[in-house]
Amino acid sequence: MKLPRFLAGSLRNKVVVMALATTVVALLLSALGLVIYDLRAYERQATTDMEAQAEVLARASAPALSFGDPRTADKDLSVMRARPQVLAAALYSPDGKLFATYVKSGADVPAFPPAPAADSHRVADGQLVLFRTVIENGERIGTVHLRATYQPWDRLRDYLIILFAVMLASLALAAVLTTWMQRAAVGPILEVSNLAHKVRETRDYTLRARKTTEDEIGQLVDAFNEMLAEAGRRAEALRLADQRKDEFLATLAHELRNPLAPIRNALEILRLAGSDPEKSLAAREMMQRQLAQMVRLVDDLLDVSRITTGKLAVRKAPLELQAALRDAVEIAKPFLESRRHKFNCVMPEEPIVVEGDRTRLAQVFSNLLNNAAKYTDPGGQVLLSLAREGNDAVVRVRDNGLGLAPESREQIFDMFVQVDRTLERSQAGLGVGLTLARRLVELHEGTIEAQSDGPGRGSEFVVRLPMTYARIADRPGEAQGPRDGPGRRILLADDNVDFAVSLGQLLSARGHDVRITHDGAHALREAEAFRPDVAFVDIGMPEVHGYEVARRMRAAPATARTLLVAVTGWGQENDRQRAREAGFDRHLVKPVDPAEIESILEGR
Amino acid sequence: MILTRLRRLAAPAAIVLLAMLAGTPVRAQTAATEASLKAAFLYKFPGYVEWPPAAFASPDAPLVIAISGADDVAAELERLVPGRNINGHAVVVRRVREDSLRGVHVLFVGRGDPAARAVVDGGRQQGALVVTETERGLELGSAINFVPLDERIAFDVSLPNAERAGLRISARMLAVARRVVPKA
Repeated sequence: MKLPRFLAGSLRNKVVVMALATTVVALLLSALGLVIYDLRAYERQATTDMEAQAEVLARASAPALSFGDPRTADKDLSVMRARPQVLAAALYSPDGKLFATYVKSGADVPAFPPAPAADSHRVADGQLVLFRTVIENGERIGTVHLRATYQPWDRLRDYLIILFAVMLASLALAAVLTTWMQRAAVGPILEVSNLAHKVRETRDYTLRARKTTEDEIGQLVDAFNEMLAEAGRRAEALRLADQRKDEFLATLAHELRNPLAPIRNALEILRLAGSDPEKSLAAREMMQRQLAQMVRLVDDLLDVSRITTGKLAVRKAPLELQAALRDAVEIAKPFLESRRHKFNCVMPEEPIVVEGDRTRLAQVFSNLLNNAAKYTDPGGQVLLSLAREGNDAVVRVRDNGLGLAPESREQIFDMFVQVDRTLERSQAGLGVGLTLARRLVELHEGTIEAQSDGPGRGSEFVVRLPMTYARIADRPGEAQGPRDGPGRRILLADDNVDFAVSLGQLLSARGHDVRITHDGAHALREAEAFRPDVAFVDIGMPEVHGYEVARRMRAAPATARTLLVAVTGWGQENDRQRAREAGFDRHLVKPVDPAEIESILEGR
Repeated sequence: MILTRLRRLAAPAAIVLLAMLAGTPVRAQTAATEASLKAAFLYKFPGYVEWPPAAFASPDAPLVIAISGADDVAAELERLVPGRNINGHAVVVRRVREDSLRGVHVLFVGRGDPAARAVVDGGRQQGALVVTETERGLELGSAINFVPLDERIAFDVSLPNAERAGLRISARMLAVARRVVPKA
């Protein structure tokens, strides 16, 4: 329903308009009824009033008429002064002659009729004219004549003036009452409305509406305040998240920039050192370390992206947990040693089997070991232990390092949170390791928690994973069994010539038979002739892309059983999925770790 | 109330004007007119007087107006009353002597009555409204006395005399009296 303009405004106006409209309508209706009733009553009343007046006058003046005393009659008539509506009065003798007269002073009336009329009353020119016979002792002794004002329109005008005055007074009263009502009822609503306006302008979520009543309006105020509090909490959370993200970006830029300087220096050393094998080796090792750091950073970045988009996934299979732990130690060992920590590893002999992703779990534990190494002063102690507790496999990483304040125990698992920002930045990392670890453990239906006796008293991270009792099943890929000897036929297909050639040299150096191609079509031709055991295929190649290469190789009898490894810069889950669908057995994300290639070749 | 006030206003100068017509010169009236006026007054007085119930033998018994010593007035009255009644009583006019006042309600003692005082006394004892027309009429014992005033006729009223006759005179009539002798 479309409201008229004056009702479309604020609640305040609506209430005022309603109150005033109600008052006006009620007054007008009652006044109309009264006026109609009164105008009808007026004529009747005016007539009967004058009849009565004439009757009284007749009786009073009867003796004067009887005894022919005009002076007394004049006096009788003069009492009409007490009746201002009577303009003129007259007495006629029985023979029809004027006997006595009275004219209201100042009244403008026509001359008296020369002879009386029969008993009657009529209205003429706004005046009521009346004749009445005077009877005394059964005898007609004269006639009374009266002339009185008869002006219902005057009366109507008086009515309207009164109505107007009453209406003004009523409207004033209604306005006062409405104001009072507003204070009582509408006031709190307006206050909420004003506050909402203010909050919208200032974004100050600490403002609160005053609760003045316990009724529905009070509930409204409560609900409004709760919503404000909730909005405030969310705004604050958003602000903090935003702040952390800013800090993360700053850290990221810094971290990515850090390894570049040593690499540049090493390159310079290589150029200057020429054939000095010792210096060249040192420079290469430095470059390798810095590169590994950068790769780790970018891996972390990719994981951050997976966590925030919810695409972090694990591929679970029955797994001997000791294997994952050994991988983790392998990864973390260089850093532990560089910090000169005393490292111990305690694992039971019996295999402890969980449903898990070996790579991901190794990532979890290596993160924990790296953290322990990082947050412990050089020369500290780090202990890794695996034990079975009931149906859980429990991994503990303990150190005697910085420890944790009690309030930090949960916080450190939040994204981008780092315990000590004063740490040397080259070691700091991005602050996603623990977030990632917790997420991965959760994906394994496990838990991870931090324990510490307090700052400076070391810390312990405990990972619990549910155990499965299934033996490690033979995986389908392993049915073919590894070939004897290291010499394998390997096809490399990558349009990045540097990458292909360097990898080719690496593999050739290890005794493999390697063919290199730089586009899909060439790769297919080579594959048919060469019949490789393993093919590393780049996805984004010119002419024929990697997926197509894989499909055709799978289709060709010569290469149907070749181990197909996709090598791409894209590590998202849907990329892996697509690769699997095309026929790839494995999926490596650039930059490829030579160790990873080695493990693939060993598994073959 | 109004009547009381009227009376109060009118009493000090109550005059009955002979002229029934405004502007008609009073001095043109003749003695015959004076007689007829007095007759008319006599006929109207009973309307303002209350007799004790015993004064009438029955509710429709005639009201008797007796005239003594004023034949011209009697003649006028006789001409006036036929077919008329006062408060339901037919009016009878009687020319009287001192000895035949029984049953009279109004007694007019004219100037021509030689034994006025005796007639007035008799009338009063009979419970009649005695009307005289002499200067000292009220002193003779009459209730109403006609007096000439500025060539007109007015009347005085003596309430004690009326009371002695057992009569009550309406205050409305007193309003037009020239002079009223109040009750003792």
